[in-house]
Amino acid sequence: MKDRVFVTGAGIISALGVGSEATLQSLFKGESGIGRVTHLPTEHNEFPVGEVAMSNDEMSRMLDVGYPENGLRTVLMGIIAAREAVESARLAPEDMKRAAFINGTTVGGMDKTERHFKNVLDSNTETEDSCELKFNDCGYSTELIADNVGRFNLITTASTACSSAANAIITGANLIKAGIVDIAVVGGSEALTRFHLNGFNTLMILDKDNCRPFDRNRKGINLGEGAAYIVLESEKSAKARGVEISGVLTGYANTCDAFHQTASSENGEGAYMAMRKAMDMARLSPRDIDYINAHGTGTPNNDETELAAMERIWDYDLPGFSSTKAFTGHTTSASGSIEAVICLLAMKYGFMPGNPGWENPIREGAVPVLDMTQTDNVENIINNSFGFGGNDSTLIFSKYHEGV
Amino acid sequence: MKGSNRCFVDSMAQVSCQKPLSDEWFDSPCIYEENYVRAQEPDTKGLIIPSEARRMSKILKRAVCTAITALNNSGITQPDAIVTGTGMGCMENSEKFLMDLCRYGEQCLKPTLFMQSTHNTISSLIAIILKCHGYNNTYSHKGISFESSLLDAWIQMKGGMIRNALVGAHDEVTPFMDLVMERTHPEYSLVSEASVSMILTNAKSDRNICEVEDVRLVHRPDYSEFAGLLDKDEDDILMLGINGNNLNNAPYETLTRTLSFNPLILRYKNIFGDNFSSSALGFYAAARILENQRIPEHMMWSRGSDPVNERINNITILNQSDDTDWSLVRLKRI
Repeated sequence: MKDRVFVTGAGIISALGVGSEATLQSLFKGESGIGRVTHLPTEHNEFPVGEVAMSNDEMSRMLDVGYPENGLRTVLMGIIAAREAVESARLAPEDMKRAAFINGTTVGGMDKTERHFKNVLDSNTETEDSCELKFNDCGYSTELIADNVGRFNLITTASTACSSAANAIITGANLIKAGIVDIAVVGGSEALTRFHLNGFNTLMILDKDNCRPFDRNRKGINLGEGAAYIVLESEKSAKARGVEISGVLTGYANTCDAFHQTASSENGEGAYMAMRKAMDMARLSPRDIDYINAHGTGTPNNDETELAAMERIWDYDLPGFSSTKAFTGHTTSASGSIEAVICLLAMKYGFMPGNPGWENPIREGAVPVLDMTQTDNVENIINNSFGFGGNDSTLIFSKYHEGV
Repeated sequence: MKGSNRCFVDSMAQVSCQKPLSDEWFDSPCIYEENYVRAQEPDTKGLIIPSEARRMSKILKRAVCTAITALNNSGITQPDAIVTGTGMGCMENSEKFLMDLCRYGEQCLKPTLFMQSTHNTISSLIAIILKCHGYNNTYSHKGISFESSLLDAWIQMKGGMIRNALVGAHDEVTPFMDLVMERTHPEYSLVSEASVSMILTNAKSDRNICEVEDVRLVHRPDYSEFAGLLDKDEDDILMLGINGNNLNNAPYETLTRTLSFNPLILRYKNIFGDNFSSSALGFYAAARILENQRIPEHMMWSRGSDPVNERINNITILNQSDDTDWSLVRLKRI
């Protein structure tokens, strides 16, 4: 296949830990990162969350950054994950000149806006607090992350709620195929905020217990936070640099369910089309898929319709599937890349991650991978990310075989 | 750039501080003395079902009006892709939700405000109305949100992944945001709002307004390298985001001083104002000039050293956001 897009690096931070190694260890131990809220100043401590353990101060010290980065959690987590990705791909400063940074975020610096908004509102914008609203939109978050990682040639921000990181990955791949750049550092970052915690709460889709994706009695989401990036690279560039190739992005697609802003259609039309189109691009048939890292948020609506879409493709002979959101929480805009990194780890180390909290099938036969399962047979992985507005994205990662 | 397909603009519609869904600005623009002026609201009749219009915020109404108008004038009912740029997203609803959070705390908040506060609410709403299952993406990257969307659609069209696309850029500025912007965006002159939708297609036809020949985004460019992308013959007319404020104009002046030639320079922010989506109006104006083969006097900034050609062949739109992200869009006459 011409124009192959390789994966040559990855970085991650989430409730599972800082870095790929810590993430892998937590997955192997089956340790969920979900717990009581500690960093986010919210009244809603009844909802478990997947917080990154480090405080803003700790991350700022680790990164040696000051104002304005130190007050923006999305940016701090983003720098940590993006630096790991760039280092693991062994990108040198001169490589960055032909590299893009495509970031997915929706919340951006909303955490900082929340801290200053009331003062600005009360003072009729006359205080210094209004200056603090400057660096808080999505684009600034991306810029601050990028400029703390390297001198990228092109940067931009995809913002499609919970599919943002997956769409950033798609954009990066398209830029490489078009020959605009040779390398793209792509993914997403999203901090927990009171804005979206309360927003999801108004929709009544948060679970007060640990979330149970694909369980018949599932009640909703546990929100999480984090950042992850992968390095995409053209075949020519990766081979010229002689870097280790950790996978091939063989297929991807984005479709719109076009049904409702915050609910998906009964038969999962958008999800079905995204998986179908991605398999078409990868020239894979359903039986070639070994594992599906589902979007699996744990809401009654998402899991039901995602399962319906999977059943339309695989009938009742589903490949191994699981949702890792019971480990990380739903990291919203970052979930697509956090789960992409988990998929790449699964491919490299030969396993399918489990789906903690599951007890009963939605329908007969709909049983996810329950515990970490080691297997050599993870050749092709589907990674689903679905966002508000029925924004449905599927990525397919395939194992790289030397000489092919 | 790989890909042999071409990319034409087939139709466009705008809502701004000029007369909405109209091209009256071309010969008789509204002139404002204020520092902040909101968009003139479009008549939604025939474009949005009244019961639905009542539930939509301003930015959503404007976006749907421009999108449906552009589609109606293009002969395309279901685009292969809907790609949207918005620097700030649905500000009115985000702001209301934040204000409620500040005033009433974390109880009794309204779900509708949250549901319609996300950046991609706009692109999704258009898809829901059209029942369009195609590619749907939204970019939110400061003042180059529009060019990010354009680049996405352009490379997919050049590469044959899509045949046509609805591309738009939308930003609303609430009175509260305007007060904040006086401090956070001192480079602005006339703060206003923008909603632009356009249909791009790979099909050559009588409908074509102009061709999109090049789209580039460059982060923190070296001025001389960036100037090197411009060519005396092709880029003899530039459309710049010049406004009445030196803070904003300085980077454009530095760049044009670096050029080895002295081009004719046009502006658009004097009549359309500033916001994160305003460069979409620069694109809109440039495309209309190529279509009409005539430059309105109010857009003239600097006449250049060479006599103006009889025919207007190309217009290159240069835009920068904070002098960190630059974009270049080259439009060519049909």
